Amino acid sequence: MNRLAAAVMCGLLLVVNAAPAADAPCPRPSTGNGQVQAVMAAIKTFQKTLKPEQRKALERPFTRESAILWSNLPIAVVPRKGLRLGDLDEKQDYAARRVAAAALSACGLKMLDEIRIADNVLKRVDSRKIGWDAGNYFMGILGTPSERKPWMLQIGGHHVAYNLTFNGAHEGATPLFFGSEPIYFNVGDTDYEPLSAQSSAMSTLARALANRPEAKLSGTFTDVVKGVVVIPVEGHLPTGGTDTGFPMSYPTGNTDRGVLYGALPAEEQALVRAALESYASLPGAAITQPLVAAYESPAALAETYAGFSGQPDLSAEGSYVRIDGPRIWMELVVQRAVADHSKLHYHALWRDKQSDYGGEIGPQ
Amino acid sequence: MLALLCAAGCGLALAHGAPHSLVKLDFLAHSVRAEVLVPESELAFAAAAESASEPFAAYLPRHLSAETPQGVAWTMEVRSVSNTNYLDHAYLSAQVEFTPPPGASARAFVLVDDAVTHEVRNHVVVVLARGTGNPAVLGALQYPARRLSIQQPVTASAASRK
Repeated sequence: MNRLAAAVMCGLLLVVNAAPAADAPCPRPSTGNGQVQAVMAAIKTFQKTLKPEQRKALERPFTRESAILWSNLPIAVVPRKGLRLGDLDEKQDYAARRVAAAALSACGLKMLDEIRIADNVLKRVDSRKIGWDAGNYFMGILGTPSERKPWMLQIGGHHVAYNLTFNGAHEGATPLFFGSEPIYFNVGDTDYEPLSAQSSAMSTLARALANRPEAKLSGTFTDVVKGVVVIPVEGHLPTGGTDTGFPMSYPTGNTDRGVLYGALPAEEQALVRAALESYASLPGAAITQPLVAAYESPAALAETYAGFSGQPDLSAEGSYVRIDGPRIWMELVVQRAVADHSKLHYHALWRDKQSDYGGEIGPQ
Repeated sequence: MLALLCAAGCGLALAHGAPHSLVKLDFLAHSVRAEVLVPESELAFAAAAESASEPFAAYLPRHLSAETPQGVAWTMEVRSVSNTNYLDHAYLSAQVEFTPPPGASARAFVLVDDAVTHEVRNHVVVVLARGTGNPAVLGALQYPARRLSIQQPVTASAASRK
């Protein structure tokens, strides 16, 4: 915990010293901010610190099988591949953080750190051998880092899955899963709320839409809609639990998708944009700026819906908020906490109907 | 009699994921047997949405059926219902037999299932074929989809046609 807390501080110092990007959705850009050259340079430095067997764990082929291997389940239920961050020595850990800092925004790096710290908090309240541990987060490089050819950087574990694709057919910031249990916690004198920006933006949007019947989505939501699916296997741990359902199908038409952006007054339209930017602020801006531009183009917004279910203030299990457009799919759901049943926790997912995995991965 | 679903995984929570339904098919010479696993937590939302209070054996036929590719209904019999657990989730397990109408093949049909998905938007029904090796995934259903075309896979034929 102390090492990670120190690393968090180190990471924050790194971003404070970074030059700001004027139009970045995250108010605090990172050292690399998602620029492919910066990410490649950080990876090269990181690779030099690794032993051969560690590089073997880090580097995998850029195939569908590798790419879809992310989950929102603890690693005891869905084991991950990649290089386990908890196994790195101090020098390696620092270099790995530089990779994350180059690829993510400062907001995205901070969220990664805080979600990992939350896993350590869970260890204190739930002693089952589930795999709660800040060390149980992994980094993987799929394909060969290049300025031209497609490759992926994956950083993830129990409650976060960054899937960043560089040089893909489309900009690749997704699928991006993130969650938080507990929603709030403190370690020492520091209070944490890893999904504060995203849950706050989605809740503010839902509260603004609460009196619009067309914004109310039908049905019940017990998890994100386009997440991973686990298949029970008699007498064994389950199969699946990864993105085997990719590519997803999405709602079409104009029924039960929420209220159309164009039907909202300007101040509520701004809340839709703020909510989508809160998600898009997590990877580096060089990756997400083209996506945000696409999502916020007049043509896209004209076909974008915002909807909710449950409590708009996200105070109850089953509360759900979604933004659904020609490409964009962003959702957030409130679930019962698993380690401490008296509390709640969040799951959130950003998918892009066109550019998940950079548009480089096809059906099975 | 159901085997215990979980041996290796018991004691682990299927944390941070809502449980899904599973339909496991055995293709017989003249019928198809199915084990239908439905998580009780998700079923509760679905039943409440239509104020249903009947036993699962009566609820299920209102939401689960089979028909020929041309739309002719198969007969369906719920042979038994039991309770089981998997990774801390309670499931209802129904043993069901589907029989095609006279003259229709038992190798291809349309499975219709919205037992939970008519209400729970994130819920997925995974359909598997049991055979000699690992079960083959035949497809999945999620709202609003409730119909899945099923074709007996080649690998399932050798083990089941007896």
